[in-house]
Amino acid sequence: MNRRAAIRNMALIMGSAVVLPSCLHDDKGKAVVELKHLKIDADQEKLVNSLTETILPKTDTPGAAELGINLFVFKMLDDCTSKEQQADFITGLAGFADEAKKQMGKPFAEGTDKERTAFVTQMEQHSKDKNYKDNAKSLAFYQMVKGQTIFGYTTSKYFMTKQVVYELVPGRYNAMYPAKKAMA
Amino acid sequence: MSNNTYDAIVIGSGISGGWAAKELTEKGLKTIMLERGKNIEHIKDYVNANKGPWEFEHRGGRTQKMIEDYPVLKRDYPLNETNLDYWTNEKESPYTEIKRFDWFRGYHMGGRSLMWGRQSYRWHDTDFEANLKDGIGTDWPIRYKDLAPWYSHAEKFAGISGNRDGVPILPDGDFMPPMDMNIVEKDVQKRFKEFYKDARHFVIGRTANITVPHNNRTNCQYRNKCWLGCPFGAYFSTQSATLPAAMATGNLTVRPWSIVTKIIYDKDTKKAKGVEILDAETNKTYEFFAKIVFVNASALNSAWVLMNSATDVWEGGLGSSSGQLGHNVMDHHLGVGAGGRIEGFENKYTFGRRANGIYIPRYRNLNGEKRDYIRGFGYQGGGSRASWSRDIAELNIGGDFKDALSEPGSWSFGMGGFGETLPYHENRVYLDKTKKDKWGLPILAIDAECKENERKMRIDMMNDAKEMLENAGVKDVQTYTSDPVLGRGIHEMGTARMGRDPKSSVLNEWNQVWDAKNVFVTDGAAMASAACQNPSLTYMALTARAANHAVEELKKGNL
Repeated sequence: MNRRAAIRNMALIMGSAVVLPSCLHDDKGKAVVELKHLKIDADQEKLVNSLTETILPKTDTPGAAELGINLFVFKMLDDCTSKEQQADFITGLAGFADEAKKQMGKPFAEGTDKERTAFVTQMEQHSKDKNYKDNAKSLAFYQMVKGQTIFGYTTSKYFMTKQVVYELVPGRYNAMYPAKKAMA
Repeated sequence: MSNNTYDAIVIGSGISGGWAAKELTEKGLKTIMLERGKNIEHIKDYVNANKGPWEFEHRGGRTQKMIEDYPVLKRDYPLNETNLDYWTNEKESPYTEIKRFDWFRGYHMGGRSLMWGRQSYRWHDTDFEANLKDGIGTDWPIRYKDLAPWYSHAEKFAGISGNRDGVPILPDGDFMPPMDMNIVEKDVQKRFKEFYKDARHFVIGRTANITVPHNNRTNCQYRNKCWLGCPFGAYFSTQSATLPAAMATGNLTVRPWSIVTKIIYDKDTKKAKGVEILDAETNKTYEFFAKIVFVNASALNSAWVLMNSATDVWEGGLGSSSGQLGHNVMDHHLGVGAGGRIEGFENKYTFGRRANGIYIPRYRNLNGEKRDYIRGFGYQGGGSRASWSRDIAELNIGGDFKDALSEPGSWSFGMGGFGETLPYHENRVYLDKTKKDKWGLPILAIDAECKENERKMRIDMMNDAKEMLENAGVKDVQTYTSDPVLGRGIHEMGTARMGRDPKSSVLNEWNQVWDAKNVFVTDGAAMASAACQNPSLTYMALTARAANHAVEELKKGNL
């Protein structure tokens, strides 16, 4: 995604106007997402973008990238986490990137769907294994991204209007609604 | 009549202030209602009320900036991005915590009537008699029969939905039709009834959300966004209910940005002449004069106003001659309860978002029972069905996982206790003259804590919750508890209590300050004990009763 598209999408998602920066040329090493506190480079950004899409891929319904969930993840991490959490995020991100490269033989973001899914599935298994003690920060990084990805997806306009029926004004309370109908 | 002279002054525009303004203006008194904060206009200024959840930048969460700016509010649920403007700016209006006290304030038109929890329960004679029976604090100068007609009066106007359950300890009121229990709540209720018969009760919450149209207000639309302000006026607030009624009389003047700094006391007549205010925007001082003054600044701030008044006569301020002003701070202690899983009902869900739950009224220390503590507690809770947050163990990531997120999870049922705190003399607020707020005014120091009786009660509150849920068929019941913190219940009470004797109370049976009979305090400050029910309905009833008395006394020439 180029910077202009990223900014446009950010504006769409956040529902607010964003002032376009005067400098729009792509700087190779620089992340395109605009962050106030979190310092990440282009490769790290690609990894997170790719990770969110691996968690919620495009199928017959939109995936994380199409819905801009990656931008929401960055927004939340940038605004809503403490300095310590952000430091852990960066450390964990580096560990995650190293481990992925070691196993996949290439950067995470350049892996195929299958390779990325296999790697993340392994992270999932590790995070559910109480005896697994290695790479705690990589796992914490992964959990932070996953948590925000799911939060962003399930509170997105797409999800709340197309996947589940959210009515701003229900007008009634049905205490025993058939589950299938409610799920549209 | 000069511009600054009225029949009545009301300090504060929250639940009790709004009621005072309504009652006094409807009885023909030219009244000015002084609000220390900004104006919030009904509907127009509820800026976030019609937004979808996805329209909030952080989806309703809290940023690091908010956490830094609101060191008190961040301690519990109120800190969030959807109604941040309704909570007091802590940097402008600090207070001193001698012991931790979570003071969650709303300095604006309507006060906390905009954000309140709306649960509305009558008291019982057990509550009014408790202090006398236990030899604690001061005896309430009134009994249930004194307040019952005023409860009806308040309920009929505010609009309280509820069921006439016939529970002796929780008197029925003049209710609108109750909200429904959901299928799981009905199931739990059925088994609860089978087990406890008439010894304990499980009822739908009684809430100040109207279920039928009422006084140009639309009935509840089941949005569960009450604390953003309701565009339908479906829950009781100053803006939706008392303010329009008071304005309709043509007798009300409202002045925002008016911090009352003192009540002007006249030594010769032994009455208040009016109040002095500081305009919060211009820092200019003004005086307003009236025959009567209603103090409704919320429990702790009402004490603050009194402490700053008539200090040339009484060092501790107006009402301090009893030695009780600012003392006996009470709240409800909470943060203890249990929850668990409900099996079945997979083919059922709820539609609409009901801003209400179930209630289990007090059952301890009644009918001759004696626990190792006195008084009691009630529970609020409900059944609900999980959405995406459930654990989908077999699915980690990917397309199937994504699809599964839009299916409902399992049902659960949870409830938390609300316990009575006792009026301890040493639990108090006082003026901290070493620090000033943004306007150069002294701030409050709060020195209050829960003690042994509350701590013992909490053991029952936790264990009983587990036992009742298990007896009602809830599975995998988990309990929780916490160190009880005063303030967290957002039910501050007791700092200018009513009583029978000027030597041991600040107010008489009509909420009149013993030392200045034309000053009435009818918010939480007036409470001589706390009971365990949510208190706002009682403030409404006390206010209407006191306003009626005030006008009668005025007519008789006694004030």
